[in-house]
Amino acid sequence: MIKPKILYVDDEPLNLMLFRANLSKKYEILTAESGITGLEIIRNTCDICAVISDMRMPYMDGIEFIKASARIKPNISYYILSGFDISDEIQEALDSMLIRKYFRKPFNLKEIDKEIDCPEQSN
Amino acid sequence: MPKFKFEYKITLAYLLIGSLWIIFSDKFLITIIDDIDFLTDVQTYKGWFYVLITALLFFLFLKRHLKDLRTTKKELENHKNNLQNLVLEKTKDLDAAFEQLEKKNKEINLKNQELEKTLTELKEAESHLLQAEKMASIGILTAGIAHEINNPLNYILGGLTGLQQYFEEEKIENEKVTLFTGSIETGIERVNAIVSGLNKLSRNKEAFDEECDVHDIIDNCLNIIGNRLKNGISVSRHFAKDLPVVKGNVGQLHQVFLNILVNASQAIPDKGKIEITTKNEKDAIFIEVKDNGCGIEQGDLKKVTDPFFTTKEPGEGTGLGLAITYNIIEEHKGRLEFESEVDKGTTVRIELPKS
Repeated sequence: MIKPKILYVDDEPLNLMLFRANLSKKYEILTAESGITGLEIIRNTCDICAVISDMRMPYMDGIEFIKASARIKPNISYYILSGFDISDEIQEALDSMLIRKYFRKPFNLKEIDKEIDCPEQSN
Repeated sequence: MPKFKFEYKITLAYLLIGSLWIIFSDKFLITIIDDIDFLTDVQTYKGWFYVLITALLFFLFLKRHLKDLRTTKKELENHKNNLQNLVLEKTKDLDAAFEQLEKKNKEINLKNQELEKTLTELKEAESHLLQAEKMASIGILTAGIAHEINNPLNYILGGLTGLQQYFEEEKIENEKVTLFTGSIETGIERVNAIVSGLNKLSRNKEAFDEECDVHDIIDNCLNIIGNRLKNGISVSRHFAKDLPVVKGNVGQLHQVFLNILVNASQAIPDKGKIEITTKNEKDAIFIEVKDNGCGIEQGDLKKVTDPFFTTKEPGEGTGLGLAITYNIIEEHKGRLEFESEVDKGTTVRIELPKS
């Protein structure tokens, strides 16, 4: 069985580490510390099932990154994480189906696991 | 020569002419008449003649004099009448002026009252503005704090999830482990509730165009807090028959009435009542929630909408409920007012505009 691939983008290394530690059993976790690195991974990796991105990051925020990424890979499911309450920008992204859901920090990994619809694939 | 008055003059002249007449006429008569009897007769006639002449003269003098007097008297009377008329006219003028003054006075009083009203309104608007400004800056601050707390909170929650997974995998089941992880979880939940409250406090991004049936919302809230209402609390609803729906955010208005109803029930020690009254006025609807609980001290009344202000036991309230309520009502362009007396109870008044 091949574990489904998830890309997690956040500028806080500790968040990346914890995410990987908690979900690596079920998924193959790819992480990026910025939207730019994230886009590189998107370009160079096949079969990414879901992308979860933090909202507030330097240089490129979560929505900007997801917009750029969706132009390259429109079939991936995208999710946003934010320490702030829902904003107009996030609401717009939800309405236009750019993102599937918005998670508020602190995020419950079990909830994210439940929400992500990435079935395991057989070889 | 000194000037004699008329009465002296005429008396003197009479005496003089009378005396001269008697002397000279007697002398003259004696010279021409010798017969004594005839002389006596002529003297008698002379006397009569004198009396007649003087009477005629008296009559003429008196007539002239009285005529003058009468004319003067008449003139005086005319004058008097004129004066009376003049006084009457002037009095009338004065009365009119007085009336006008009174009218002006009334106008000034009215203007004064209006000014006083405007001043109170201005003062109210000022305190309202101050409060709004305070809440706006607090909103920005709290949103920042909430974000900064959420990241480290994320580490704790992630770490806890990892630990729980680890214990599960290693089959470590221990009362102490459950106690420790449980307390961390409770801590996270508590912080999360506060941060989530702070976020709601600063939020102003949701739609306010839903149709809100306030009666429906109040009934829902009463259902939700049903189990929290103590047995001794009776709730009476005095709902207006023709209350229209208002535009707003249904979820947020639920939050408003939940906060207020929970506060009212917490203010009542064992037994008491909560009265909910709604009114339909010209431009707005009014909702009044009145309890006969412990009340709020005057000094605290101003602070009830300040974030983190609470008189409840630790853990019972975050002190954000009424701050959030205030903000929601503000976002609905409404008004929130509190009236309270210690040991008598508290009345919360909400005004929501119809459009």
